[in-house]
Amino acid sequence: MAAWVKGDAADTDAAVEAAAALLAAARMPVFAGLCADVAAVRAAYRLADRIGASLDPVAGPGLYAELGSLSAGGALTTTAPETLGRADTVLVVGSRPWDGDLVSEIADTKPVRGLSAGDERTVLALGGPRNGTSRHVAYGIGNVGLDVAIGHLRAFVRGHLAGEAAFGDLAQKLASAKFGVVIYDAGEIGEAGVDMLQGLLKDLNEKTRFFALGLADPFQGRSVLQLAAWTTGQAPRVGFGRHLPEHDPWRFDSARQVADGEADAALWLAALPAPRPDWLVQFPAIAIVGEDSADARPDTAEIVITVGVPGSSAGGAVWNERRGVIGYVPASGNAVAATAAGVIAGISQKIAEKGASC
Amino acid sequence: MSTLKLRSEPPERIDLLGIDPLALSKLSEVDAARIPVGTSRRGLTLGDVFSVTLDGSDSLVIEGGSSRLDRVGASLSQGSICVEGDVGQRLGAGMAGGKLTVTGSAGPFAASGATGGTITIEGDAGDHAGGAVYAAKAGLDGATLIIRGTAGDRLGDRMRRGIILVEKAGARVGTRMIAGTIVAGAIGVEPGYGMRRGTIVAGSHGSLLPTFAETGTPDLVFLRLLARSLTALGAKHADLLKGSMRRYSGDLATLGKGEFFTPAG
Repeated sequence: MAAWVKGDAADTDAAVEAAAALLAAARMPVFAGLCADVAAVRAAYRLADRIGASLDPVAGPGLYAELGSLSAGGALTTTAPETLGRADTVLVVGSRPWDGDLVSEIADTKPVRGLSAGDERTVLALGGPRNGTSRHVAYGIGNVGLDVAIGHLRAFVRGHLAGEAAFGDLAQKLASAKFGVVIYDAGEIGEAGVDMLQGLLKDLNEKTRFFALGLADPFQGRSVLQLAAWTTGQAPRVGFGRHLPEHDPWRFDSARQVADGEADAALWLAALPAPRPDWLVQFPAIAIVGEDSADARPDTAEIVITVGVPGSSAGGAVWNERRGVIGYVPASGNAVAATAAGVIAGISQKIAEKGASC
Repeated sequence: MSTLKLRSEPPERIDLLGIDPLALSKLSEVDAARIPVGTSRRGLTLGDVFSVTLDGSDSLVIEGGSSRLDRVGASLSQGSICVEGDVGQRLGAGMAGGKLTVTGSAGPFAASGATGGTITIEGDAGDHAGGAVYAAKAGLDGATLIIRGTAGDRLGDRMRRGIILVEKAGARVGTRMIAGTIVAGAIGVEPGYGMRRGTIVAGSHGSLLPTFAETGTPDLVFLRLLARSLTALGAKHADLLKGSMRRYSGDLATLGKGEFFTPAG
């Protein structure tokens, strides 16, 4: 285990002591990243409650693109196993769904349950990379954004636009599905795109069955979302400044808080890999990062504490995308002594001993 | 006229929900100064941030603004508030009546959910002015919003009722608009994304969505009535409607009952 305070090597206890002093003196601390196992994120919410901090996961933009639409209008959703088992038509929107192996698995298999059992599966792509690695029919979107293209397609599905255009053909294919699924990444298509996509699904469900399969972000966002809900009753971006969890996605956007000079200290939690914000280096900040990660360096932040990595050098409950649940992963190697949850609990204890304004 | 004079730039965001002439008229200056308005554990009060002078009238002036003053006039139902300077997010959010004026600029979500009264921003407005906040069903909901400067993106997002007048606005004016009227000197690209009903009028505009269909240059009585109703709010905006207007129908991705007008010349 390694730790640094102002660039100098320190033992973990000294770094925890320095972190406690930094946070205890802050007026408006922010906790960002939150890319870690459930126990660590839970400890972060507890510490934030104690000292009046606000929280903002690095997965925030993608999460809120989904939540913004969900909170206002609901959603028609399904899971990866249901898609593999039942879907005879799958529409892949954008480029990011092609990054994983789900699309190729869908393209290589047939539905085995329900009305479509045994049928050939049709894989369609809207605005995809056209890389030819999986069997599919590609529909280009030209120079417009994905959200505009989804709206354009929806106009054909509703019958408000018609003709021989490619989207007319695509709309017919979607409408003739027995069990259809749209795969997308909310961060890529944005809140407006998710909203329009859900509208498209509602239109399609007038005549058939069609559902959304939004992909999880790679930074534990869905895990944080569930934890925030059961801990605070709110979505993740909350602040505890007034002794209760206030939810405000704009006010508690950590990048905005730092840019506007409102935050005066930060805790960056990334026991699992996550893109470090540029502001971290020049800001009074604590970085709790995975051991042997690229950010396990003395110049990452004023105070750096390395911890075990869930699934590698520590056990922990993390998001399982294929199953769509939080699940425990054991350490694959030798477990290290310090976990992120333990370090944060240590900081909290030190602050309590100091009797900081809570 | 009651006065709140800002002592200095606030060290944290200040929440002025509930600070309006009606509420203050029932309090002594000492009691008013004790109202908590801070948003951190430091527990700032109204008296910590402002010097408070009350006369029981229905008019309140906030001398000295800051982009950290949130929800100014958010509870206003009668009387007037004038801010001499800038304000933060959610200016007049949920306001039910009265007159709210800001001589500087406003942050995002101005007039969100406002059901009545008139909100005037002499400077610029942030993104989502007249737009819906997270989880809200509607943005502007019956009030009148006048922006003399430039509004950010997504002006009038999910707006349901009321009128917005703006000199200039960013991209996607009237996104997901449910109903209501927006009149602008100039707007950015892709107005009316996902709009169901409502009217957008713009002197000039960026690229239009492929889901808006031109329906000609009809001579509509409605436009003359709209021009007449706008005269008192902004003569320049009313003049915009006096020439021949080209009409587009959209957003065809949704109901398609919205309309977008722009000068035919």
